[in-house]
Parts: sequence; structure tokens; C-alpha cells
Amino acid sequence: MAKKESTFISMVFTLFLVTLFASAALALVYEATKEPIAEAKRLKKMNAIGEVVPDFDNDPGVEVKKLGMGKDTLYFYHARMGDSVTGIAVETYTYTGFSGLVKLMVGFRPDGSIHNISVLEHAETPGLGDKMIREKSFDKKTGLSWSSQFEGKDPQEYLLKVKQDDGDVDAITAATITSRAFCDAVQRAYDGLQEIDGTEEQKSE
Amino acid sequence: MGLITVSPSPHDHSSESVPKLMYGVLIALLPAFLVSVYIFGIGTLIVTATAVISCVLFEFLIQKYLLREKSTVKDGSAVITGVLIAFCLPSNLPIWLVILGSLVAIGIGKMSFGGLGNNPFNPALVGRVFLFVSFPVQLTNWPEPLTNRMVYLDATTGATPLALMKEGMKNGESITSILSDIPAYIDLFLGKMGGSAGEIAAIALLLGLAYMLVRKIITWHIPASILLTVAVFTGILWMVNPDKNPDPVFHLLSGGLMLGAIFMATDYVTSPMNVKGMWIYGIMIGIITVIIRVFGSYPEGVQFAILIMNAFVPLINKYIKPRRFGERLEDG
Amino acid sequence: MSQWKNFSKGFFKENAVFVLLLGLCPTLGVTTSAFNGLGMGLATTFVLVGSNIVVSLIKSFIPDKVRIPSFIVIIASFVTIVELVMQAYVPDLFAALGLFIPLIVVNCLVLGRAEAFASKNNLVTSAIDGLGMGLGFSMALTILGAVREILGSGSIFGFKFIQGDGMIVFILAPGAFFALAYLVVIVNKINKKQA
Repeated sequence: MAKKESTFISMVFTLFLVTLFASAALALVYEATKEPIAEAKRLKKMNAIGEVVPDFDNDPGVEVKKLGMGKDTLYFYHARMGDSVTGIAVETYTYTGFSGLVKLMVGFRPDGSIHNISVLEHAETPGLGDKMIREKSFDKKTGLSWSSQFEGKDPQEYLLKVKQDDGDVDAITAATITSRAFCDAVQRAYDGLQEIDGTEEQKSE
Repeated sequence: MGLITVSPSPHDHSSESVPKLMYGVLIALLPAFLVSVYIFGIGTLIVTATAVISCVLFEFLIQKYLLREKSTVKDGSAVITGVLIAFCLPSNLPIWLVILGSLVAIGIGKMSFGGLGNNPFNPALVGRVFLFVSFPVQLTNWPEPLTNRMVYLDATTGATPLALMKEGMKNGESITSILSDIPAYIDLFLGKMGGSAGEIAAIALLLGLAYMLVRKIITWHIPASILLTVAVFTGILWMVNPDKNPDPVFHLLSGGLMLGAIFMATDYVTSPMNVKGMWIYGIMIGIITVIIRVFGSYPEGVQFAILIMNAFVPLINKYIKPRRFGERLEDG
Repeated sequence: MSQWKNFSKGFFKENAVFVLLLGLCPTLGVTTSAFNGLGMGLATTFVLVGSNIVVSLIKSFIPDKVRIPSFIVIIASFVTIVELVMQAYVPDLFAALGLFIPLIVVNCLVLGRAEAFASKNNLVTSAIDGLGMGLGFSMALTILGAVREILGSGSIFGFKFIQGDGMIVFILAPGAFFALAYLVVIVNKINKKQA
């Protein structure tokens, strides 16, 4: 079969056809996957929230509060059982990680103490800094991981600083910088929570 | 500059003198070894013996069964690699890690490239950096000097002066208050500090340097250029802001700088062949070391600096060739 | 060349990673675990088969001077399809592979097969070539991922067999080079013996 000659018309025409078919195919796939992608993202967020707050029966993704703090924004997700708030999940961040940005989801109980913490995004060193992720430092014998030490602590009396800085937190061995960043992010979540609560009280007054 | 540059050639490449030079280096390492045994006790003996035996054994096994070539174990280079690995490891390191480091040094660092003379990187440093990156927790667990010398793997551990300095600076403490936690300079000079087995005593390492210079095993250019560069660079930082930067004496006496500058950077195979090249090599090692120590996240950088500059040695050798006898300067 | 030979050449004799050393960017980048390697390999296989089929179908309609742009558009479309589908149905794997999925577009292996093979052969032969090359690539990535995971994390396909960590260097970038280098040595040795 002889190859088609490369005239201006034939080249433009061919490229036009190729791109036309390509974009048509992409449009079809995009339409077909739009719903599942949105669903997958929602599920991921729900899982992250569900991990860090006590039981709830509402959809915390619906009621979101935002608060600009520092370089970035904190997001607050309220988890409710019936009418009462069972916990608040705070999406928080820090830029002081060993490799910069670390994003956490910190769950607070209504009394302000920490329920649980999960890591959303990070680039810390494998085997060192990534021990802040529950699965990476989980000890089968004790059933505890590094971040367990935060559970049930009230940041008002529990100083969110590593012991080297005269705080109450045991740093990850050989990953003090990551541990500091972790504390920084949790502290920011707590500060944000106080601020949000403050404004709410003012509103209700 | 004269028209003809005559390069001193300290490297006698005839085969029968290789073992002679290697055993000369071993004698030069002896003072540091003795000091280390005095300071850290039995741990140094165990780690050094393990490293030497496993380096020699791995070289022998790889040459006999994998490469099927004539064994070069007797030239002593594997023994030196073993001693140097042990010298830059904590003396309370678990034995299996010492063996693994020796395997990496000989297997990856040396034999993969074709054995002695063909390896671009210092094998001992390859092993040490491999361990350091792979097992950061165990590799930053330093034994306290002069305590529990009769037990191996004891529990009392402390930080090195460099680690204390880095930690203190991160917390914004002033230099004077950090220095009060660090042994006095005379102790650093004599080796009474936490650190890797063989890097602690500046005086013993300098003694080794003197021996090697007298015996003409190495020339003075590489150690001098590294130490001078570190002194000048940290001196400038210190003069600019003495509250934020420790003085050059501290930098010279702490960490693995002396060990690296005297015994590791001067490895024949992985260092430049002529004086001009040696200066460039040494100055760059000094600069990179200080950059990592002062601005990097690791407290010590001399091992990385030497490995980085090892990679540049072929380039340096290529572009800074000694002019051949009778060759004319082109425009000069 | 028989179709069987055409299919099997991608595994050893012309393995993209171990012999041709093509597509090293994803090879070194994503193989921190066997599962990631397998996922990346299969995604690439899909793109490879798809683009090989389409290119061999339309090869006679494409003027020579615009064939590379046309191929790239076709490949990029398949990559975007993979990206969207993975995002929808395997979001965790997609998150792990991240940037490397869109980068399949610039994988030399894919354009290389389109240009050097599919544009000269018929549909069936091209499809089989794409499948063989793709599965060979997947095999290489899975082996490399498995080696790195075993040594680096002490686990295989996520199943942990030691307590604690492995040699962390193997899940960092330098470990990828170490592991790949020694695998290339072994595969070359095997190929030499067979030849």
C-alpha cells in the first residue's frame, strides 16, 4: 500500500481527523468516569474523616467550614450523631516537614481533646519520618503506633512539642524534624478550632 | 608559571609495591585504632575485626566464585577497606550490619567495577553511606566515651559534638550555651567524645598523617587543601556572625573530617593524579563538607563530599593533565 | 517470525527494561513496591496495545511528515483514558503512581513500538507485539519492584515478613539504580548463555 503524499491539505486534514477522533473518545470516557471519580474522591475524604472522629451518622463532607491560617487554609468537618456534635475533623498542614508540606487530618472530641490523627499527604523519608503514619509504626504486640500518644490528650495541658524542646511528645527516633512538623500541624489545627469556636459563640450571642 | 610542569609522582604503580604501600597505610592507622580501643573499649575491637575479616572474605569469595579471576586479597587493600569501614561506624553497631556494610563496600563499591584500580568511589565510604542511608537509627546511636568499655552493644549512648551543635542551632540556642554541653577542645583533640570508632582522636590521625608523609606514602596536598578550605570557609562564617557559627577549631576537631581528609580522600585510586587536580579536589571536598554541615540537614557531610568529588576525579584528571615534556603553551 | 516468537521476544530477548534499557523513568520512579510496578506495567501495556492497534490500522492514511504528531496524539489519548479510568476505579493505585501515569506519553517504549513496529506491520502482529512488549515491561517492573520491596521494606506485595524496616536505601532513588544494575547483569548473563 502506497503511503499518502505529504501535501499541505492532506497533512492538515489528517491531523484534524486524528485530533477529532481523539477528543471524541476522550469526551466519552470523561463523561463515563466523571461520576465514579467524584464518588471515589468523596469516599476517600469520608474515610479519612471516619478514621479520626468517633461514630457519626451525618455526611461531614456537607458541612465544611474554612479558615485561612498562615500560608494555607484549614478545613473543618463536623461529625454529628443526630443533633449533637460527636467530633470535628480538621484538615491541617505544615510546611516544616523534612521534605516540606505535610497534610494531616486531626479529629477532636467535643471537649477539645484529640481523638485520632491520620496523615493525608507527605513526602517524608521512608523508614524514618513516615513512621508518623499509623500503619508504618504499628507494633503488633502493644497495638500502639507512634501517633497513639496523642490520643485523648487535650492540647490545653498537653504541650504539643517534642521532648527535646521541653514538650510532652516523644519524637520519632532519628526523625525529630518530622515530629516537630507533626506537632506544628496539630497545634495549628487546635488553634484553628479555638478560633472557629470563638466566632460561633459570638454569633450565637 | 614555568613552561614545563613536572608533576611529583608519589604513586608507584609497579605491582610489587602495592602491598608495601597498603601496609604502610595500616601502620599509619594504628594510633587511631589504639586511642579508639582506649576510649570505646571492646566494641572497637569487635567491629574492626568483623569488618576486616568480612572484607577480606568477601573479596576472596567474589573473586574465586563469581569472577573466577586471580585473587588479589594479599595486596592488603581489602584489609584497609575493612579498617576504614570500622573506623567510620559507631563501635556499638550490631555485627550483622558491619558484615552487610563490608559486603556492600567490597561487592558494590569495588568488585562491581573490576576490583582495585578500577573503582571510581572509595569502597569504604560506599559501605558506610549505604549503611547510613539504610539504617539511620542504628548509625546515629553513638556510644558514650570512656563508659562501659568492657561490654559490646551497651545501652548508654550519646550524641556527637556535631549533632549537638546542629540540634542546638535548630532550637536557636547561642553558640556559647551549646559549647558548654560539648567536651572541651583539648578533649576533642585527644578523642574524648562520642563518634565513630576511628574518627575521634585528631592527634592520633595527625600522627598517622605524619608517618605517611615521612614514608612518602601520600603527599600533603589533599589533606592540607581540605583542612585549609574548611578552616577558611568556617572562619569566614564565624567572623561574620560569631553568635550563630562555631569557630573553625570546632569544625576541624569534630566529626569525621580528619579521618576523611587524611585516610579516605587520599585513596590512590579515587583521587586526582597531579597537584593542581589535588588542590581542586581538596578545596571542593572542603566546601561541600562545610555546606552540608552548616546548611544541610545532616550534621556531618565529609563522607558525602568525598564520594561526590570521587565522581569528578576522572574529569579532573582529563582536563588537568600535566603538560608533556616539550609541549608548548598555546597562548600564554 | 512466528507469532509466538513475536509475542515472547518482549520477555527476555528484547525486554524493554533489562535489554533495551527503554522507559527507565517510570522503571526507576515507581518501583518502590511490587504492586506499584505491576500497576504501572499493566497501565503501560494497555496504552501500548491500544496505540499499536490504532497506529497499524490507520498507518496508510497518515502522511509521512505528520506521522509522529499523529502517533503522539493517539498515545496521549490512550494515556488520558487510562488516567481517568484509574482515578475512578483504583484511586489508591493512582495516588501511588501519581505523576508517572501521564508520563507514559513520553515513554520511549510506546512511541518506539508505534514508529518502529506498528507503522510497518498489520493489525494482529502489532497487537501481539504490543502485548508481548507490554507484559515483558510489566514483568520487569514487577521483578524490580519485588526486589526493592523485599530488601527495602521487608515485604512482598504488601505482605510483611519481618518486623521493622528493611534497608531503606532500596526504596529510595539510589536503590533503584543498584537493583536495576544487578538485574541487568543477571538477565544479560542468562541471554548470553541461551544465545
